[in-house]
Amino acid sequence: MKYGVSAVCSAISCLLLAVALPARAHHSFGVEYDANKPVTLTGVITNIEWTNPHSFVYIDVKDESGKVTNWKFEGYPPGVLYRSGWKRNSTIKTGDTITIFGWRARTGGAWGHARSVTCADGKKLYFGPAPGIGDGGAAPQVAVPPSN
Amino acid sequence: MRNNLAIVAVAALSILPASLAAPQNSPAQKSATQKSPAQNASAPYVYPPPVSPDVPRAADGHPDLTGVWQGGSDRIGTWEETNSGDGPLGESGPITPYAIKGPQPKPPYQPWAAAKVVEAYNRRGIDEPMVRCLPPGTPRTTLMGLFPMQIVQTPKTVVLLFEVFHIFRIIPIDAKHPDDLEPSFMGDSVGHWEGDTLVVDVTGFNDKTWLSGTGTIHSEKLHVVEKFTRVDENTIVYEDTVEDPVVLTGPWTRHGTLMLRQGTRIREYECVENNQDVQRYEELLKDPSLFMRKPQTH
Repeated sequence: MKYGVSAVCSAISCLLLAVALPARAHHSFGVEYDANKPVTLTGVITNIEWTNPHSFVYIDVKDESGKVTNWKFEGYPPGVLYRSGWKRNSTIKTGDTITIFGWRARTGGAWGHARSVTCADGKKLYFGPAPGIGDGGAAPQVAVPPSN
Repeated sequence: MRNNLAIVAVAALSILPASLAAPQNSPAQKSATQKSPAQNASAPYVYPPPVSPDVPRAADGHPDLTGVWQGGSDRIGTWEETNSGDGPLGESGPITPYAIKGPQPKPPYQPWAAAKVVEAYNRRGIDEPMVRCLPPGTPRTTLMGLFPMQIVQTPKTVVLLFEVFHIFRIIPIDAKHPDDLEPSFMGDSVGHWEGDTLVVDVTGFNDKTWLSGTGTIHSEKLHVVEKFTRVDENTIVYEDTVEDPVVLTGPWTRHGTLMLRQGTRIREYECVENNQDVQRYEELLKDPSLFMRKPQTH
């Protein structure tokens, strides 16, 4: 089932990539994150940073052997989150169990870019943009090709 | 499995926070039923479009641009109604009849400059000036839709206040550019009215910003003319024309819309608070193979 959700979300992301999008973020998605490496993780929140230019949420994720890894996920700044229904110390809190869907960092390790957060009660909110933001989209921004 | 995926896909697309759902029979939906003055999508765009007879006007008779607006959107309604489709900029809600149709032209770069744009594309935007919390420049900031902007209009001055990077632009009306301009990120703006259109002339730029998308470089010779026409209650139709004899072969004109967002306010955005990207980018640059696209010469 995990595979299913990831595959569907990837398909949706590809759809979004096909649309010409206005500038919407402080930095490129594609430099740091790999749209081909979606990840869905469930864990317990250990910390939330409501900060500019990006917010971060940290979760402890337990694997099948019982080993716990602390994952870090990046998302929108507080102003953007508040405008889309988030509230500090209310929407999600330290100790809550949540499921994060996002994409892993190119450098590997336990961190990535979060697209959505699903709370224990099933409520789903967007925490960050889809892939393709700020990295040039599907083609370079030029009308005249280089002469060579 | 395919059926399961389809069901999950529909479910995923339909999961929206209840608090963000658009109310029935909202003013926005009512507005969308107005007779469309939209331009023929296949014909060249003629600016300005016809202005609705009931457009809000200031005491001096000019269309009143005052309000909080979202650039880069063509959806009618509150921020919550129009940004809930799949999160911020989710593009939900009715479309303004003045929506700009079709893809916008790309800038006509000289070959040497086009090669630099392609290089930046292949580097996936790692050279993005905003990463260092620098202002995005003009006209890029105007259509930056993730954050609202506020326009304050008086007979002698129009002020643009942007949430993103706390940028402000002061546009004196019927004034001349100062003769002691130092190069700047946002440039120096002066405005005048041509009929119902506010025309803003911007000059005095540095070369440290991008015009729009990834790698769209310019020089200190950049000259921008922006046109703002409030055409109805909900919509400002926008045009910018960019000239830069150092990097372009000729003028580059784009069109877009700014949409009224009643009930939205400009919030704080203090970019340097927790900006981890500069340090992370420096780490990535030690091994460009981690992020470089397969090189394209386009």
